[in-house]
Amino acid sequence: MKKLAATTLLLAGLAAGAEAADPVIYTTNPVPAVEAAQAVIKDKAGLTTGIITGGSGVLLRRIEAEKAAPQGDVFWSSSANTMGAFKDVLEPYSSPELSAVPADLRVADDYFQPANLHVVTVMVNTDQLDGAPAPADWKDLADPAWKGRIILPDPANSSTGYTIVWGLSKLLDAETYKALVANLVVSSSSSAVPKGVAMGEYAAGITFETNSYSYVDGGQTEISIVYPSSGTFTTPEYSALVKGAPAGDDARKAIDALLSKDSQIELLKVAFRRPSRTDIKVSDYVKLPELSSIKIFKIDEDEAAKSRDAFLAEWAALPKAGSSE
Amino acid sequence: MNHSAFRTPWPWLSALALALLGVFVLYPLLYIFTASFVGEGRSGWLQLLADRQSLSAIGNTLLLATVVTLFSTLIGVPLAYVSARYRFRGKLFITLLPLITLVIPEVVTAQTWLMILGNNGVITRFLKGYGIFIPSFYGWFGLITSMSFIYYTYVYIGTVAAIGKFDAQLEEAAQSLGTAPARSRIHVMLPVIRPAILASALLVFTMVIGNFAISTILGHNVRLLSVAIYQAAVAEGASNLTMQSTLASISVLIVMAVLFLNRRVIARGRYEIVQGRGARPQPLRGAQGVLVSGAAGIVVAISLLPLVTIAVGAFTVSRGPVMRWGEWTLDNMARVFITAPGPLVNSILYAGIATVISVAFSTLVSYLVVKKPNLMTPLIDYVSAIPLALSGTVLGVGLLASFNGGFLALTGTSTIIVLAYVIRRMPFGMRNGQAILHNIPNSIEEASISLGSPPFRTFLRVVLPMMLPAVASAAILTWTTTVSELSASLLVYSGGRETLPIQIFRLIDSGLMAYASAYGLVLVAVILVPVVVATTLFKVDLFASK
Repeated sequence: MKKLAATTLLLAGLAAGAEAADPVIYTTNPVPAVEAAQAVIKDKAGLTTGIITGGSGVLLRRIEAEKAAPQGDVFWSSSANTMGAFKDVLEPYSSPELSAVPADLRVADDYFQPANLHVVTVMVNTDQLDGAPAPADWKDLADPAWKGRIILPDPANSSTGYTIVWGLSKLLDAETYKALVANLVVSSSSSAVPKGVAMGEYAAGITFETNSYSYVDGGQTEISIVYPSSGTFTTPEYSALVKGAPAGDDARKAIDALLSKDSQIELLKVAFRRPSRTDIKVSDYVKLPELSSIKIFKIDEDEAAKSRDAFLAEWAALPKAGSSE
Repeated sequence: MNHSAFRTPWPWLSALALALLGVFVLYPLLYIFTASFVGEGRSGWLQLLADRQSLSAIGNTLLLATVVTLFSTLIGVPLAYVSARYRFRGKLFITLLPLITLVIPEVVTAQTWLMILGNNGVITRFLKGYGIFIPSFYGWFGLITSMSFIYYTYVYIGTVAAIGKFDAQLEEAAQSLGTAPARSRIHVMLPVIRPAILASALLVFTMVIGNFAISTILGHNVRLLSVAIYQAAVAEGASNLTMQSTLASISVLIVMAVLFLNRRVIARGRYEIVQGRGARPQPLRGAQGVLVSGAAGIVVAISLLPLVTIAVGAFTVSRGPVMRWGEWTLDNMARVFITAPGPLVNSILYAGIATVISVAFSTLVSYLVVKKPNLMTPLIDYVSAIPLALSGTVLGVGLLASFNGGFLALTGTSTIIVLAYVIRRMPFGMRNGQAILHNIPNSIEEASISLGSPPFRTFLRVVLPMMLPAVASAAILTWTTTVSELSASLLVYSGGRETLPIQIFRLIDSGLMAYASAYGLVLVAVILVPVVVATTLFKVDLFASK
């Protein structure tokens, strides 16, 4: 019995030891995106990478917990307002690849590196419209006919959800905002949003373009992506270097590869991630509109991060569809 | 315990077992309880009283567990009755049920149900054509339906043996005394099989409390305890160790109360059947036969649907999340074995190690408890039963919190996954081992020792061979339940250490049904191959101890 336990501990130790040399990426990204990135990193930097997946909160908190003896090297990816709270376990890194990224996406000291850009869109399942015309703008979704038919990730535990609701509160007038929120059903898991719309559980979902487009690309003809006519907003996602990354320079090389043109094209093709670089023409690779053709509002991510608690409290008090209370 | 007792290995082994249980079972549990009182800020219990969302999660969980237990019993007991007492067409399929519960990942079941009864599901669309609208499958409707159709099998397994062993002479006696057949069944048979029904119903109740996979997929607006614990533990912006510990403590307390009730109920209402002769199953023909096999067939078919779905899905072409039904491919399977075999390898490795440790530990410890009692053994017995009260999520949270740093830092290692497996499944081995040892007379062992064989050698050479068939069946059951473990390992795993259930959960979460099906099918095979080999080649009776 004792011998067995000792052997197990030894085996486990060996397994942990063997992996330590390769950079380990803590990622929130779906499997196809991760595999595409791994392939490019292997190709460009000659590095085999270990992958740990999870929600951004889980992973960032794990990095924080491992502060004394970091196990991961790179975090990829989340919004700046989520990552801001974990700056003391991350390390600034000015990757040479950042020269191809517009300055307004970069953060001070290059604490995080802009990896891609999300566009907030409305995913619509036309089979579930029951003959009504597809919504064209936010105010259409504020109509009481949409009550309980729109799904949104919970802002309290999803950064996607928080970004969306915060942006909407700034973009819409108070009345429309309230009416829209009253129609929303909140999902605890952000991945349930595109799935719920694709499976026809909900007629519409507010989610990032990338999530909706995978169904369009897959050939599900009843799914369409609506870029609201009065405008929408974008949010960049960032990668970051873990402070004291055990893989050292290899971790930096992995980030360089992740930000490279090849990698961003690959991610665009496989996972429909809109690049953060300006030297890639999106419509060459996927059937998505160029950013310049979408009406975009600028939102203040710093303010969003600062007012998080107050905003969430206010949000919790708003009446919503399908709530159990 | 006298002085000479210390010359045998038993007191030392008892102390070692107690120490291990203390570190790996008691310590995490105490850690959770303590953290619920003294954490950051106010005591978690005070926070809880003000937190309507958490309170509603507790209420919802209790309600769900009650309703699912009721439905499971209503499906499971009649099915057990007809299969124990009658012979009819297609009865063979019912005997497959225990296996189904062991092999189909719950996440797959939930997803399959959505494909059938979801808003866009096959049946929903069909009914819509006739103007019939069924409620959304997300929420209560889906939770109750899918859980009832999984958990009734536990009621079935728990009851079928009791009905089979029920002495038909008692029923005949009642009838010859003038009681009508239906009445005699209710008045004579029910009291005898009631403990078995109650025990399995309470088991279902605790399983619903601990259920994570279905709760998180179908719960949506219905807040449930296990999902709330998981989210308090991992969700971003909600790093609330106090709340997570308080909710986990509540889950533990509920299950402990149920287990206590279980003991009381069963101790009170036990009827012994002395030398009973079980009723011989009667053939059912005509309309009655059609009705019974039809009803049983529907229940079994529904339970088998997820298996069919993953078998088809595993070979279906997909592009991203969109399935192209009717177009076939081997790509998904190639992925499991060639492109990304990590989860398969990890599952076999971790579950294999965990099974060996768990069976070795529980065999030795049940021997100590039953045959070599000392001051420590009652304590060992109690502590080793504690994991029964811990749902996977609670155990995961406990391990994560206690071994994050400090004297034993295990976070991010494979050891913590194996540890979670061992702790979760060891009580089953213990129960099994103790049941068997009670049937092995002490005289055999004493004879061996009095003939000059030292105690430990006697254990290895005499007692262990007699226990072997039961140990083998325990090993296989441990293997099947360990390989399919999700909720504890999902909290403690780290990158590159995904197991098959974790990978399936992640893929379904990303909407990649085709890949998930391929991993699911392989998981079914990984579970079934040892079962089939053991039952056919080595004639191990899987449910020997039940």
